[in-house]
Amino acid sequence: MSRQGTRLDSKKVNSELFTLTYGALVSQLMKDYENVEDVNKQLERMGYNIGIRLIEDFLARTGCGRCYDFRDTAEKIQMAFRIYLGVSPTVANWSPAADEFSLQFETNPLTEFVELPDHCLNLKYANMLTGVIRGACEMVQMEVSAYFVQDQLKGDNVTEIRVKFIKRLEDAIPAGED
Amino acid sequence: MAVCVAVIGKDNSPKFISCLNPELELQFHYKVHTSLDVVEEKLSSAGINTGDVRELYLGLLYSTEEHKIFGYVTNTKIKFIVVVESANTLLRDNEVRTMFRRLHNLYTDVVCNPFYIPGDPITSKNFDDTVKSIMVNNI
Amino acid sequence: MADEVSFEFLHTELVSYVLSSTEKDKKPCDLSTLEYIGFSAGYRIIERQTKEWPRFKDELETMKFICTDFWTSINKKPVDNLRTNHQGVYVLQDNAFRFLTRLSNSRQYLEVAPRYVAFTCGLIRGALANLGINSMVTAEVQSMPACRFHIQVQRT
Repeated sequence: MSRQGTRLDSKKVNSELFTLTYGALVSQLMKDYENVEDVNKQLERMGYNIGIRLIEDFLARTGCGRCYDFRDTAEKIQMAFRIYLGVSPTVANWSPAADEFSLQFETNPLTEFVELPDHCLNLKYANMLTGVIRGACEMVQMEVSAYFVQDQLKGDNVTEIRVKFIKRLEDAIPAGED
Repeated sequence: MAVCVAVIGKDNSPKFISCLNPELELQFHYKVHTSLDVVEEKLSSAGINTGDVRELYLGLLYSTEEHKIFGYVTNTKIKFIVVVESANTLLRDNEVRTMFRRLHNLYTDVVCNPFYIPGDPITSKNFDDTVKSIMVNNI
Repeated sequence: MADEVSFEFLHTELVSYVLSSTEKDKKPCDLSTLEYIGFSAGYRIIERQTKEWPRFKDELETMKFICTDFWTSINKKPVDNLRTNHQGVYVLQDNAFRFLTRLSNSRQYLEVAPRYVAFTCGLIRGALANLGINSMVTAEVQSMPACRFHIQVQRT
């Protein structure tokens, strides 16, 4: 190429493509559903579907084995955020019984360019993330619930997802084990 | 340093205008509008004398006793117009360039907001606030 | 920065969302939503990607940018063949298109292939639209995982 100009950086372009495609999806859902609550639910459901497939990729990449306990799980979820979104949330606010913790984000690539309009204040814009956590954990025999408790898009200082352990799932055979 | 900043859409209609002194907005609307002809002229001469017009920054469009008007056009045909007072003789070309680059970055963030519909007037508060601070002290 | 794989997961889920919502309405497989989501992303991303780029001289130069630089950065590899009739038709051949390589190469998947190319058609159309070129973008899959994208510039 004889042209001057900065070459496009494929990694960066793909990251932006991810962010912008997610944005286009959210606006599409806002058109498809009348109710913002339904959009939140749909995002969570789509996240769940991604989570159940993403866990395979995660295990293959990291070679992680079984979690010893929920603290171990928290660390692995943190690691997954680093791998897939390039952010390191802080694990904080453990409950005394160590069955509940928070992931706190200073930045979130999904919301990089987003400014919520006034009529969307109930929208949980990045709600797909909570679904991904639920789906991925379920595949390793853990039922959890995950939900946003703080959101920078709504003026909070940090974005915070609460993850709560519900129960072990015994019926399925663990992936990759006999 | 600047007294007025305007963003003009592909169709030459204003998408955003901000003036240091809001009372003068009408006057600036007129000035910005006039400058668009110069922009078109500069762009259409691009084919003839290639070279410097490849730059997105178009430089000084025209000046009056009171004001100097600068222009910048993105590859997506969005025009940015900046008006400064002619009395401001300390202003260097590089500072104007930097200002435009900042505006351009800000504008791309507006476009990337999934709730912004391209072609609509810009109502983002963040954009408005930052443009104001750019006008006052170029930061 | 988000990993490339994250985008691929999102894309797969996008495809199944669009399919399930058209199934629900008993409509024939309608990929226009998928194309539109691509359009919207393409329109916006090109605003960022041309920020540092000198002004395009003409249509040919713009097309060259889209078919080479932009395509390569999006798909992580250059197109295998690029042709134009110099009358507004551009044909991009990718012998192993990103979203098709994950499907099996067998013929049985051929009929689902359009689902995996619709987003990219929209992406290119959106990017071009913001650069002032109205176009029609279609894709043709004859044997997996190769794909041929046709860009037809609309000059009216």
